Amino acid sequence: MRRAFLAITGLAASTTALVVLKGSPGTSQAAQEPPAGTPVGSEAAGAPPSGTDAPAAAPTAAATSSPWPTRGATRSPAARPTSRAPAPRTTTARPPQQPTTTRRVTGPIVENEYGNVQVQIVLNGDRIVEALTLELPSGPGETERHSDDVRRAYNGTSGEVVRRQGADLDTVSGATETSDSYRRSLRAAIERA
Amino acid sequence: MTAPLTRPGLRRVEHIMGTAISLDVADDLPDATLRALADDVFDWMREVDARFSTYREDSEVRRFERGELLLSEASEDVRAVLATCADLWGATDGFFDAYATGGLDPSGYVKGWAAQVASDRLLAAGAVNHCVNAGGDVRARGHSAFGRPWRIGVRHPWDANATCLVLAGTDLAVATSGVYERGHHVRDPRRGAPAQGLRSVTVVGPDLGLADAYATTAVAMGRAGVTWLDRLPGHTHAVVTDNARLLRSPTLPVAP
Repeated sequence: MRRAFLAITGLAASTTALVVLKGSPGTSQAAQEPPAGTPVGSEAAGAPPSGTDAPAAAPTAAATSSPWPTRGATRSPAARPTSRAPAPRTTTARPPQQPTTTRRVTGPIVENEYGNVQVQIVLNGDRIVEALTLELPSGPGETERHSDDVRRAYNGTSGEVVRRQGADLDTVSGATETSDSYRRSLRAAIERA
Repeated sequence: MTAPLTRPGLRRVEHIMGTAISLDVADDLPDATLRALADDVFDWMREVDARFSTYREDSEVRRFERGELLLSEASEDVRAVLATCADLWGATDGFFDAYATGGLDPSGYVKGWAAQVASDRLLAAGAVNHCVNAGGDVRARGHSAFGRPWRIGVRHPWDANATCLVLAGTDLAVATSGVYERGHHVRDPRRGAPAQGLRSVTVVGPDLGLADAYATTAVAMGRAGVTWLDRLPGHTHAVVTDNARLLRSPTLPVAP
């Protein structure tokens, strides 16, 4: 009897551990299976990143103004770097709490057999704060389909929020691209900095 | 006098072991000290690469595999790593297999282990606030230069520019293993085929080498890996399944 009770409790405990965050708006960390026919938010937001001002990964002190910075929409924490970057950094004393010298240098697009790779580095002064990938080869059929599904889920109006790199991070866990193209673009970005 | 424009500490990124290694030391130490600490970290990573790389014909791992080097002649590091891999093989019911790809490839443990050792050395040297990221395996201690716990994003498995989760803490080892990467296919060593079911597994614990190995193990197990992770003492996890669901431990240190 006691054993049966323990078994049931154990089963219940391990089941609760599988927290399936499905359709929970505002928790902001669920990747969700999209309901069929979810309206696609905006075409531009779902488009792959391009050019120099795609994703914002600035691990800066400024809070992200919008909880939903999309890559399609210019630099995401828009107000911060743009308003300060042009100011000449000479002898003007600044409020010490504003580490606003963050700038971005983009490496060239390097082609490989699967597609293009482009790396951007974020610098604070002349220190590299972050290295990110702007463009990566898109996968074959299956990957591409999944990719569309997930994007539809979080670009749509279902209230699903997936935090972007604009979410004020110090670093990111998850395999870094290891290709030769990545290394070449990264190196070129460092040389341009 | 100008106000300080940069945060204290040092940040550096280098490309070693076929991946980007980044170091962020947030301690307000003299520049020369910081540079020396960073040099030590990257020298160590290069040393690990020279000994363990499966791409270098002259690495100890390749020489051992070809039978040119006896285990007793190998460096202490190589012996310790291979012993741990053997232990992991037993502890994971054979799902963590340094021979899963045919040849000897302990890299499912080595990258995290190397970063863990680097972090331990920084701590011993007095740099108590730092974050080492070895190709996506993160060991963070203390606080960032902003004086808050380190904030670690978990890469979104279908979008390299997005994160699906943000973790925060002052003493965390975070390893993510995924099958989203081209050329990085975790194999199910029992079926001898690419693992299926889990797209990305993140394991959080005290030791980055083990977290790395456990994440790889769970991916190799497929759906059964979630149950296995639930029973893993002292570790928490987040899993994204092939059908894009996020499952996670209730006690995962998610950022507030």
